[in-house]
Amino acid sequence: MSTNASAENIQEQIVVLLPRLRRFARNLVRSPHDADDMVQIAVERALLRLDQWHRDARLDSWLFKILRNAWIDEVRSRGRLARIFMPEEAGEHVGEASIDREVDRLSVESALARLPEDQRLAVSLVLVEGLAYKDAADVLEVPIGTLTSRLARGREALQAMLRLPEGDQS
Amino acid sequence: MNVSDEMLMAYADGEADDATRTLIEAAMRDDPEIRGRVARHRALRQAVQGAFAKVLEEPVPQRLVAAARGAPARNVVGLRRWQPVAMAASLMLGLALGYFGWRGSAPLVTSNGELVAGAGLADALSTQLSSDRTPGHIATTGLSFRAKSGDYCRTFSLTGTHSNSGLACREGGNWKIKVLAQSPEAPPSASAFRPATSADSPAVRAAVEESIDGEPLDQAGEIAARQEHWTAPASR
Repeated sequence: MSTNASAENIQEQIVVLLPRLRRFARNLVRSPHDADDMVQIAVERALLRLDQWHRDARLDSWLFKILRNAWIDEVRSRGRLARIFMPEEAGEHVGEASIDREVDRLSVESALARLPEDQRLAVSLVLVEGLAYKDAADVLEVPIGTLTSRLARGREALQAMLRLPEGDQS
Repeated sequence: MNVSDEMLMAYADGEADDATRTLIEAAMRDDPEIRGRVARHRALRQAVQGAFAKVLEEPVPQRLVAAARGAPARNVVGLRRWQPVAMAASLMLGLALGYFGWRGSAPLVTSNGELVAGAGLADALSTQLSSDRTPGHIATTGLSFRAKSGDYCRTFSLTGTHSNSGLACREGGNWKIKVLAQSPEAPPSASAFRPATSADSPAVRAAVEESIDGEPLDQAGEIAARQEHWTAPASR
């Protein structure tokens, strides 16, 4: 691994982005500890692949993409390797979302967690992380039209779940 | 006027082009219903943003800062080709030797500057099937697979008071250690049976995911590979 000044500089930029990476990871996995594990894996991968980052690309989008792909790998490996790697945990990490005492007034977090994954990620990248549509589409590796339709559907579902008051129309 | 919800959404997100923006702003002036829909989009945006704002204020765990600065990850030594981590590995080696040396059988030794499985561990990697959970072995093996390089690789967990897990690949007649991680969990009580690989670290799993070619070997696959002494078929 390169230890020249520029690599160190990027490392410090990554440090600055850690809070946002953690926030995005919370939209991928519910447990904060697991989310941080995902961030750690993503950051380690990013450092190994610094040469693949194009200077004119946004570092945050690039890291979000690595994080998302690490998560996909993780989900896949959980499915495929579950019997080998985590026999005890297998039944543990699903199901805690289903008991909501206040079905009528969901928190934003749990409403978001109920969205289908593709909509959740679109909402998270655009509304929470504030990415432009084209950057969010790039992170998710989909055409921009796909992103906007996921975003629109996600928003609609959230509106329905959250019953936000009508905005001030005056 | 026909203004689609996607247009309003894009407007609320600051993504509308100039023409659309002009159109929508005119529509908003004329039509309270359009104003209301834009306001709803903005309110939702704010609500979602606000819900996760507190994550940004949490202190970032030190292990993440260290990882971003390129430190060897928490209890994890990644090997592969890099000198700096190889040095860290030799520190781990020292630890491992400290723990295991008294048994007279170091699980890890260096060979030509590379970390490889010592005799006991190599024997376990070469002969034990992953279904073998008999207590008393130096290590249990977890997952066997073909790497993209064509080599056979296996994950393992060293048994003992400190649970180390790792990934080894069969290269040039040795089991080369690719990743070695010390499991963060407290060691189990002496009598407790611990499923060998349940404690495999995220680093080991990540390394498997990164290098695996296709699916892991099943038992028949392991037996077949064992018969060939885990040497990669020449086709690759």
